[in-house]
Amino acid sequence: MIAILLRRLGLGAVTLFFVSLLVFGTTQALPGDAAQAILGKEATPARLAALRERLHLDEPVWQQYGKWLANMARGDLGRSLATEEPVSQLIAGRVGNSGFLVALSALIAIPLSLALGVISAARRDQAIDHALTTGALVLAALPEFVIGIALILVFATNLVHLLPAVTLLAEGVPIWRQIDQAILPAVTLDLAVIPYMSRIMRASMIEVLESDYVQMARLKGLSPRRVILRHALPNALVPFVQVTALQLAWLAGGVVVVEFVFRYPGIGAALVDGVANRDLPVVQALTLMVGGIYVLLNMVADMATILLTPRLRTALR
Amino acid sequence: MILAEEISPNPTADLWTLRLKQGIVFHNGKAMTADDAIFSIQRIIDPKNPKAGAAGLSDIDAAGFKKLDDRTFSIRLKQPFATFDVQLGEYANGIVPVDYDPQKPVGTGPFKFVSFTPGDRSVFAAHKQYWRSGQPYVDELVIVDFPDDTARINALLSGQIHAIDNVPFAQGRILEATPGVKALVANTGAWLPFTMRVDQAPFDDVRVRQAMRLLVDRKQMVEQALSGQGTIANDLYSPFDPAYAKGLPQRHQDLDRAKSLLKAAGHENLEVELVTSSVAAGVVEAAQVLVEQARGAGVKINLRKVDSGVFYGDNYLKWAFAQDFWFTRDYLPQVSACALPGSPYNETHWDDAEFQKLIAEARKTLDKERRAAILQDAQLLEYEKGGYIIWGFRNQIDAYSGKVAGFQPSRTGTPLGNYGFGAVHFV
Repeated sequence: MIAILLRRLGLGAVTLFFVSLLVFGTTQALPGDAAQAILGKEATPARLAALRERLHLDEPVWQQYGKWLANMARGDLGRSLATEEPVSQLIAGRVGNSGFLVALSALIAIPLSLALGVISAARRDQAIDHALTTGALVLAALPEFVIGIALILVFATNLVHLLPAVTLLAEGVPIWRQIDQAILPAVTLDLAVIPYMSRIMRASMIEVLESDYVQMARLKGLSPRRVILRHALPNALVPFVQVTALQLAWLAGGVVVVEFVFRYPGIGAALVDGVANRDLPVVQALTLMVGGIYVLLNMVADMATILLTPRLRTALR
Repeated sequence: MILAEEISPNPTADLWTLRLKQGIVFHNGKAMTADDAIFSIQRIIDPKNPKAGAAGLSDIDAAGFKKLDDRTFSIRLKQPFATFDVQLGEYANGIVPVDYDPQKPVGTGPFKFVSFTPGDRSVFAAHKQYWRSGQPYVDELVIVDFPDDTARINALLSGQIHAIDNVPFAQGRILEATPGVKALVANTGAWLPFTMRVDQAPFDDVRVRQAMRLLVDRKQMVEQALSGQGTIANDLYSPFDPAYAKGLPQRHQDLDRAKSLLKAAGHENLEVELVTSSVAAGVVEAAQVLVEQARGAGVKINLRKVDSGVFYGDNYLKWAFAQDFWFTRDYLPQVSACALPGSPYNETHWDDAEFQKLIAEARKTLDKERRAAILQDAQLLEYEKGGYIIWGFRNQIDAYSGKVAGFQPSRTGTPLGNYGFGAVHFV
């Protein structure tokens, strides 16, 4: 188990290195540089030259990449080109915010979609299953910004002023003490992921419920509740775990649309800003982080799959 | 130069004497003196690190500053400049103390710097020793960054913030009708021109430029590109300058004349590429309207929309046919920014000897009447031969909550009454 873990981690690091090369290449291919992006309309030749020199943009590109890589190896993320502040300081708060939003969404989405999937499967083709399926399909068809704006209209601006329309975090107060500011964004994300997660749960549950051993358990006279919770559920979990990991990684990558609609200060909007500003150190740090989360969550999901599947579990011994 | 009590030229307009107002105190408690003003101007024109205002102040002789007493100093210019005072008053030129450190901004305005979080917010506190008595009326000013227009409007509607700038043109009327929210609409001299390079085919033929200007139905363009939030223009800038050439006949769409001009120039069925980018509200919309209007005269305009990184990239100020946006300026400062061979933003590559002679003459002329007469001759040249299509002046639309008052419309084109937060108070 530990050997597999270490191998996966090593492969993950190699993946991330290639990601950094790819990101560097793509940002170089974008027209314009950070100095032009910062000065915009005021990009006169004299001001451009002065700014390029200050930001070391006049050096050859491979030298810039080498410098960045050497600093990265020492754990130094470098300084942002746009604000000239350390990248670590710039993104620390945003990473925390995005992490909190993902955790909050996951806390709601995982139990809810599990329950909805199981109920749908157990009451297959009955009224409640049809209602849940229709609801899930409608929600899945709506883009996140429509859901977000609808929630704002209802809860923040037009009907009632129950929750804040946008996120304006008080400084120096941890975000979990201002949880009201994160509720609408989290609910929007949940409404976007729960349809997929519950549908997967329903499908895999139905498959398991039709299997011979469940039939056997039923024939032995076990209560339906016990059949579902003790015998069917553990075996139906594997696809759900995989889909959950992918959905969570997608959320952690920063759902830019949701961050825009709610002005939520997460990493998605920071990444968009970074690209618009041609701010290479910020873009690199954030893509590596998102890449790292994908690698990690996939690994966790695979480990969970191994632990949930007796055949794989015993093969490890 | 609102901090000056008096600013006056010598008879040849190349030596200017400035006396600062008394009792102006910086945010750090230090009294403002002539040393600070001299330092600030030298800092702007520093050749090693020129600031935004540098190009407009290029006439200053860097060694020509002289302190006369604590509040008075003089500036020598390399050549006469009769409206140097107006140029010095451009918005990019502020006064900072001699020990200025950009990490800890200090100025003389109604609010002093407290903190700045990039991409999030800036916090300011009232400057108790501000020179306009009684102001500012509020204790704290927080400027919040938004990545999205809808989010800003929602924040205003839900009462989380008290004012927003640059409301999208189409939403001005909607917000006006919303209870609890007020719209601040200002007529301005801010313009969103099309820029034709007068030194590049096909626009190097003056008849093509004249034809292009005749393609535009200005009223329709203001209606569609600005949702009616603007006034039509006459291919001339600086409408609030006392020397503005009001007397020139308003140019209207004339497709027949445009066609015959193009035919005479050998450019029947002209096809050109227009480079556009959403660098300011209404710019891309205006380009789309122009494409439609040009069709009427058989002119095919291919729209090439690029992101602002490309627009301001290596081809910036070199596009043959593109667009731009400008705030309100008086005529001479505008000319030195965009209409002379040495101008930093001469996007039309306008290089007309007769025009330059008139401008040089006007810059030397202290007599207002005579200067206005010369400048009107210069404007006639631009009106007949220039490379700009100036179809309108946009309104500035901002919005604020009914819980605050004190915002005044400003002609500058800068939002929220030229950011006049000092006069704002709760009601």
